[in-house]
Amino acid sequence: MDFESIPWLLILPIIIIQLILIVVAIIDLIRVRSTNGPKWLWAVIIILGNMIGPIIYFIVGRRNE
Amino acid sequence: MSNFSFLFQKEWRENVRNFKILWIPLVFLLFGISEPLTNYYLPQILASVGNMPEGTVFQFPELSPEQILMSTISQYQLIGMLVVTLGFAGIIARERKSGTATLLYVRPISYFSYVNSKLLVMITIVIGGVIVGILASLYYTNILFGAVDIGAFFGFLGTYIAWLLFVISIVLFSSAAFTTGIASTVSVVFVLFAQIIDALLGTYWTISPWKLPMYAGQILNGNFDMTPFVWSIMITLIASIVLIAGAGYFAKRNVSKAKI
Amino acid sequence: MKTLLYMQGLTKEYGKEKAVDNITFSLNKNTSTALIGPNGAGKTTTLSMLAGLLKQTTGSIVMDGEDTKDIRKMIGFLPQYPQFYTWLTALEFTEMVAKLSGVEPKMAKLEAEKTLEFVGLGSAKNKKTGTFSGGMKQRLGLAQAIVHKPALLLLDEPVSALDPIGRREIMNLLKELQANTTILYSTHILNDAEEMTDQLLFLRKGKLVEQGSMREVREKYANPLYKMYFSSSEEAALFVEMSPWPTRQEGPVAFISIEDGKPKMQEVLLKLANSNLSLSKVERATASLEEIFLQVVNKG
Repeated sequence: MDFESIPWLLILPIIIIQLILIVVAIIDLIRVRSTNGPKWLWAVIIILGNMIGPIIYFIVGRRNE
Repeated sequence: MSNFSFLFQKEWRENVRNFKILWIPLVFLLFGISEPLTNYYLPQILASVGNMPEGTVFQFPELSPEQILMSTISQYQLIGMLVVTLGFAGIIARERKSGTATLLYVRPISYFSYVNSKLLVMITIVIGGVIVGILASLYYTNILFGAVDIGAFFGFLGTYIAWLLFVISIVLFSSAAFTTGIASTVSVVFVLFAQIIDALLGTYWTISPWKLPMYAGQILNGNFDMTPFVWSIMITLIASIVLIAGAGYFAKRNVSKAKI
Repeated sequence: MKTLLYMQGLTKEYGKEKAVDNITFSLNKNTSTALIGPNGAGKTTTLSMLAGLLKQTTGSIVMDGEDTKDIRKMIGFLPQYPQFYTWLTALEFTEMVAKLSGVEPKMAKLEAEKTLEFVGLGSAKNKKTGTFSGGMKQRLGLAQAIVHKPALLLLDEPVSALDPIGRREIMNLLKELQANTTILYSTHILNDAEEMTDQLLFLRKGKLVEQGSMREVREKYANPLYKMYFSSSEEAALFVEMSPWPTRQEGPVAFISIEDGKPKMQEVLLKLANSNLSLSKVERATASLEEIFLQVVNKG
């Protein structure tokens, strides 16, 4: 599949949503006082964890209250 | 009932500030879009990833738009339900454990308003998120695979919403009755594992809340049996109401378990 | 004087353990009462039952007022370690609990602001409670307990977590509230109780072992106590050594407590005359609450 034939208009929303999830997770990571496990590790998981990274962070990493 | 609006405002603020109001719907939206896309472009993706021996031929079945929507639902049934069960298992239990609930429980609140405020927030986030996700999925499916019957689609969506209400009730009830850890386990067992069991052994019965996602698919395809479907919906709604009432009962009963 | 609250035979059992054992007492309107006792005496359990957080095993709580069905309306409660939603600001939290407690929604914000000002959090009202220090949490805890102007204020160890300055400030606030609030508070720091208390309730192992006004309790327990001033600490120590009576020492001063009129002061002085210790002053002193507490708690 070459570059021009990629349907960017269709894929763009996915990229945007993923970016929002990553940004929101990172903002939250900075704001919360403590996480389950080291913060830097969660930063790595959020950024490199693809679609699932931010989700895993919100469910497992975030320590509520 | 006047307390309800103040309690709801608190729940709303909480879920805005911990971003649940944003990230949970985004997850449903993400899967809603990516399911039709990956299905459509899978052959090309596989081809471009390469490393296939020369002459390998992939046989891809022709997928109908209905199948794509069902494949979105099956994503929701796994990852989506994990997000809902684990994300909300602490909605009452965690307040008790941390002790923040104590300062609510000493006030003249009604425990049904208390539980309902949490119910409404969960409905908004989960059902709202799923509707947004499925509509996006429908839009992409429409572009890439063709149209579905709109009446059948709403029957499908409505049925799936009934299932979601059942899931939410299970999670809310568990959180009212148990600690966060046990509530997570109970919710996962009754939402995810029970589905598998129902799928394995469920040929022996036709009336079950856990069959609703399957019935939703059948409605979409236009071939379904009315009687077991109607009974399943009824049973599901009644079970949800009982669970929500039970959540109110246990929320009150467990007041003494709040950390003082 | 009008009675605001009356509890009869209040008992809380956990299995076979009785955390609170058949307690009966009443609180008069706009008075303040201290629940005194060592840790584990049942103070928190008693307060929690009054606050509606625990259900008593047996016994009754009767509150004066037109609507006593849900007595939570009339109560403000400050737990020993109040926990707040970290994501709310002090003002948001106080406004919310005011509304939940029945303050007119339109007035709730104003009342919350006034109350926060009163407890000294006026400048921190828009900060998230997650950033609060222990002392600020205690103040916010007091604010949430009084924002709806409850008839009965229940405070569990309101000042034990504070430094002396904070302690004094909170006690002063409570004194101001006393004019139109009935206060019941638990403490194990007895100087707090001496400050502002009309009634003392001594709890020991879940039982109410003594009660009365400060004066009554004093008269009952305050054995004459003499302070004997010596010329040096060494001399005071020598006196403690030779004294056959309950005696203790603080620097050059020896405290001798005289039970049931024995020993007579004459005997003490006679004993001294035979020694070569030089006594410079003898003074009659009243027992501090601390000493009464030790007596009450250790007896029986």
